[in-house]
Amino acid sequence: MSAEPALMSLTSVAQAIAQKRFSSREATQSCLDRIAQWQPRLNAFMALEAEAALAAADAADAELAKGNNRGALHGVPLAHKDMYYDVGKVVTCGSRIRRDFVATTTSTALQLLKDAGTIRLGSLQMAEFAYGPTGHNTHYGPVHNPWHIDHVTGGSSSGSGAAVAARLTFAALGSDTGGSIRMPAHFCGVTGLKTTVGLISRAGAMPLSQSLDTVGPLARTAQDCALLLGLMAGADPYDPTAVAGPLPDYTAAAQEPMKGLTIGIPTAFYVDDLDPEVARIIDETVAVLKHEGARVVQVELPDQRQLTAACQLVLAVEAAAFHKRWMIERPQDYGPQVLMRLQNGLAIPGVSYLEAMRWRGPALTAHLAAVAGVDAVIAPVAPVAAPTIVESDVGNSPDAEALIQRLTRFTRPINYLGLPSLAIPAGFTRSGLPIGLQLIGRSFDDAMLLRIGAAFQRATDFHDRVPKFA
Amino acid sequence: MTRPTAKEIKAMADVAGVPVSADVAARIANSIGPAFEGFAPIAGTLSFDLEPATFVVVQAAEAAK
Repeated sequence: MSAEPALMSLTSVAQAIAQKRFSSREATQSCLDRIAQWQPRLNAFMALEAEAALAAADAADAELAKGNNRGALHGVPLAHKDMYYDVGKVVTCGSRIRRDFVATTTSTALQLLKDAGTIRLGSLQMAEFAYGPTGHNTHYGPVHNPWHIDHVTGGSSSGSGAAVAARLTFAALGSDTGGSIRMPAHFCGVTGLKTTVGLISRAGAMPLSQSLDTVGPLARTAQDCALLLGLMAGADPYDPTAVAGPLPDYTAAAQEPMKGLTIGIPTAFYVDDLDPEVARIIDETVAVLKHEGARVVQVELPDQRQLTAACQLVLAVEAAAFHKRWMIERPQDYGPQVLMRLQNGLAIPGVSYLEAMRWRGPALTAHLAAVAGVDAVIAPVAPVAAPTIVESDVGNSPDAEALIQRLTRFTRPINYLGLPSLAIPAGFTRSGLPIGLQLIGRSFDDAMLLRIGAAFQRATDFHDRVPKFA
Repeated sequence: MTRPTAKEIKAMADVAGVPVSADVAARIANSIGPAFEGFAPIAGTLSFDLEPATFVVVQAAEAAK
């Protein structure tokens, strides 16, 4: 066992607390010590509630002493992206507009984690209204990458990526509408699960696009993601889009071997225009997959550029519709880049939006047919490692907009198709920046991705590496 | 599918109740152009009976396998 509880995985720390090998207070204090060290450098937390967290930890320890174990995550301290409503708490959504918004409900996903015994460390930074892929935030400043503080974390779940990577929280909720879990997982070297649309309730989570939004975890391992998914997945009377039905045992799936599975690697699009280091890491990953007993075959996917375009049409219109009132009443309170993205939705005719929505079924059918012979597809999350904060600042760099478009082109098709995708740490550049790859699955087969991801992590140590505080 | 011009975008924003300047309309036209062009091969080709809920039907059929 690590001498520093904060360095343990979520699964390990939950077991250690349950078995009274150390207390919830010790785990919480360990996280708070690291937050005190890292937060001035990272800007990962939006709000820190140290005293309340320690009091909750003491209460959890007292309960456990009486034999009352509340659930699988009893006494485990967590922090989440500041867009999950928690009754009585300020939930800024990374914005000036909601700087003082106090939630009157608690999101279903968050409540399920509370019911499992988690305690709250505070809330995590994010891109304004989750509408940005880099980690910049006009109002609260950028979140810094713990592997190299001059580089971005990716977004929009920027604080979640940085905080999990620096071991400030054992896991964190993010959200993924166009890549917002996978991008920070890739840039920060953590594991992130973009779930199938409809698998986890979105009730009480700030909306960006009702067709594309997904709730999901960022954690240190696929096993940790499996534990969290098992607690959160399923139907919810407060979200009719959350699908009812039997759910697999995700943690059991994550213990299955990779042997005998078939993994597809795309012949085009996802292998085009890659940084040589990303290409190298794909090759190295394929070698590991084969070594672990998987068969790796080429797959020819339908035109992904059309999926990206359809995703952009849907996202732009739905985001503009959610924000229309504030765009009229408070345009000055948006960051300029976010307002620009929202304004884009005004220019898309209703017929074009509905065509993009109507095509979603046939597009998914075509994709599923193309991957009929494989259990998952492996692809890069982005063609490059984390860019610097300066070069990705749209306000200051003339090339930033083109860079941002390039960053998101491998994630958006998956959102349009509503598919699950697991981002896993797969290597490092020579300059020490993490590179992640995404495993793309079939609808509601999130368990398969966790199985492959966990098996990959049993054979590698990229997910165990911790950025040093230099 | 033709990408809208800045002039058309200005008119659409006015109708939507969120007026934008000519400069902003020009910026939007440039920004959303690639999405229109990317979707052009699909636009106008979808069959009559297709509706957005088909996506959920395909998802459910896959989940049932």
